[in-house]
Amino acid sequence: MTLMTGSLKPILKILDPDRRALPAAGLAVAFALTGAIAPAAAESVTVGQTFLASGLDPADGSTGWALVTHGIAEQLFTVSRDGEVVPNLAASAARNDDASWTVELSPGRFFSDGTPVTAELVADALNRTGEANASARATAGRLTFEALDADTLKVTSEQPTAILPSILAEWAFPVYLETDGAPIFTGPFAVENFEAGAAIEMVPNTHYEGYEQRPDVTIRRIADGQSLALAFASGELDLAFNLPVETVSMFEGREDRSVTSFPVAYQYMMWMNTRTPALSDVRVRRAIDLAVNRDNLVAAARAGKPATGAFAAAYPFAAEGSLAYDPEASARLLDEAGWMVGDDGVRAKDGKKLELVLWAYPQRPDLVTFQPVVRAALAELGIAVTTQVTESPSDVAASGAFDLFLWAQHTAPAGDPGLFLSLFFETGAARNYTGWSNAAYDDVIAALRAATSPDERIDLARQAQKLIADGAPVSFLVTPEWHVGLSERLADYQPWGSDYYVIRPDLSVSHQ
Amino acid sequence: MTWLAAARMVVMALVSWLAAVAVSFMLIRLVPGDPVDIFVNRMNVNASEELLAAYRRAWGLEHSLIEQFLIWLRGFVTLNWGVSFVTGGEVSNELAPRLAWSAAIGFGGMIAALLCGTLLGFRAALHPGGLADGLSRSMAVAGQALPAFAVGLVALWLFAAELRWLLPFSGGAVERLILPIALVAFFSVGSVSRLVRAGFAETAAAPFMRTALAKGLSRKTALWRHGRRQAAIVLVAGIAPDLAWIVGGTAIAEIVFGIPGLSERVVEAVSSRDYPVLQSYVALVALWIILGLHLCALLRRTLDPRHGALPLRVQ
Repeated sequence: MTLMTGSLKPILKILDPDRRALPAAGLAVAFALTGAIAPAAAESVTVGQTFLASGLDPADGSTGWALVTHGIAEQLFTVSRDGEVVPNLAASAARNDDASWTVELSPGRFFSDGTPVTAELVADALNRTGEANASARATAGRLTFEALDADTLKVTSEQPTAILPSILAEWAFPVYLETDGAPIFTGPFAVENFEAGAAIEMVPNTHYEGYEQRPDVTIRRIADGQSLALAFASGELDLAFNLPVETVSMFEGREDRSVTSFPVAYQYMMWMNTRTPALSDVRVRRAIDLAVNRDNLVAAARAGKPATGAFAAAYPFAAEGSLAYDPEASARLLDEAGWMVGDDGVRAKDGKKLELVLWAYPQRPDLVTFQPVVRAALAELGIAVTTQVTESPSDVAASGAFDLFLWAQHTAPAGDPGLFLSLFFETGAARNYTGWSNAAYDDVIAALRAATSPDERIDLARQAQKLIADGAPVSFLVTPEWHVGLSERLADYQPWGSDYYVIRPDLSVSHQ
Repeated sequence: MTWLAAARMVVMALVSWLAAVAVSFMLIRLVPGDPVDIFVNRMNVNASEELLAAYRRAWGLEHSLIEQFLIWLRGFVTLNWGVSFVTGGEVSNELAPRLAWSAAIGFGGMIAALLCGTLLGFRAALHPGGLADGLSRSMAVAGQALPAFAVGLVALWLFAAELRWLLPFSGGAVERLILPIALVAFFSVGSVSRLVRAGFAETAAAPFMRTALAKGLSRKTALWRHGRRQAAIVLVAGIAPDLAWIVGGTAIAEIVFGIPGLSERVVEAVSSRDYPVLQSYVALVALWIILGLHLCALLRRTLDPRHGALPLRVQ
């Protein structure tokens, strides 16, 4: 006991009320410093998603897309929150007189092993991808990358293009460094452990600016939406991406879990086949467009916003204003077109009833939900609609064997309006399912194809959307919303960019 | 059984497998939906005719169906199972690590069902009309009537979200396997217990039981000692349909509990018409079912000499 007392004496001395102020203050400072520095490095969060990269080679299949959305890989250009194509690993791109492009790399960028990003390494990677992956040859044919010096690339495209930055923002073009093992990337997170099909454990890339603020991240694949919601409810996930709408109410009133909804660019629309006798008349097509109450569709899907045009409102080239709902004007247009209401309430012309078939596909369940809503709206107008569902939407659409077709499409995956507007509406285009043809529209698209100025492209895209609205080969319906579950620790996270940019450099743990 | 009979059994198994994979190969390709079309739509690829043709060439779809089948078959038997249309990865590399998870759930569920079902069936036979008999009957009905997917979600909600006893998504391998194995077992316990009960009940009604009891054995000991072989024969004869359930149940368990097994990958492959993944999976499942059925037949012959002798005895 004496020994104990003796050995405790120095400690008791420190704890003497008169003497312990200083060490206590020192301890407080030490704890405060530790608290300020340590948490960022020690934090870890778990993200649940229904999809996961199946490998780490961006030249394989759609792996490049997954690696970018996971925050592992980056492209030379990217699409910003405002829907604009902005430089990322590149600093700028300029078109040369010979239709090739010169791309300057952004200084001070590194792969996650510390290797500087050089033009030679970028060229090696992207030339390999172009050779191996057909998706990298989609928009302008094969791209050839040549390093002019350490920071400058010359890019030559098989087909001349005015929108190379947008093409380089496509998912097929992540930059990587080939090694004997797995490739190395430049994104804000580096792969620590990869369990195929199950999980990816990531740590902050210490060669990426602001790495101290980022937590370790584990992405878990949970294929079923209901299970994803239950995993989030159980506290196993800090972020649950794309919760089914019917599970959202589970988290109402919970303080430790919240759900944020955000608009996505997979626009819902309805094709109108202009080759069919009834729909060849623009008045009938416009009447149908005016008869659909988009608010009812949003209510049916329990999420989303009425569409304003071909693009979600976040894009700078989105149409302004709102699309009209006017059943009276709609009825007048049909009367003008000679489709008169018969005794049975169905309109007819020259003894033929106005009967249409409305298709949808189950891969996008909201579209099937829309079918009775659209049918009811058109029935009010005197149009008899029967519904069909197909597992092969592209086959049916391409065959032209439809009247109306509910469709979902990401209309600006690389932040440019040109692809969608040309591919689906230009005369004779590969996916012009409606058979619509308009010379003025084709001229606008030709001008859009050549335009390089962003403002000019925005103006032309809006002109094109105005012409589509006038010709009504399609009725743009709803901009859908997805739902993201967030724990308190990620309360500051704001989703955007559909499923293209789920984990981003700004992912950090909230300390509120 | 002679060696000739054994060889005939092997040949029959091979022919059955070949027929199953050939029919499934054609059926998979008859399902509406073009994999190239689905891929370019899903990934928002600007697909010209040339690009579509390039995909078809790369994925071997430009050949006739017969040629595609022969190419696939040669690849499968030489362990070159092709490349996934969606991920671009080697199918064998993608499926190999998943096989362990599926096997753990499938065999784990089967073993758990056999153990619990045998115990329950024996108790039910021992006390007809008792608690165990009622439970056995109830579980058999539940196994037929309840939707496995919903039961899995309820289990997930109860044990993970409400009680928080388990971390089925982020725990260790054993913790992650508990609920999937329990789900697979839950739907087989009832049928196993009814089969076992039927086997023991047959013995319980046999005249020699009276002799056994007269020798001083307890009813429990006498029934177990003299009835287990008969119960095993009935069980082996009746368990064959559960081989298919093991596959189906494993698939549901993998999806509900987020286990990276074979079936979980296949569900994704169905929606994308990822033929190489689908075909390899079907071939593996066909192999499992055919092997299982033949093993059951062999086991039955071993247990019940009236169905013939084992090859080794013939030797």
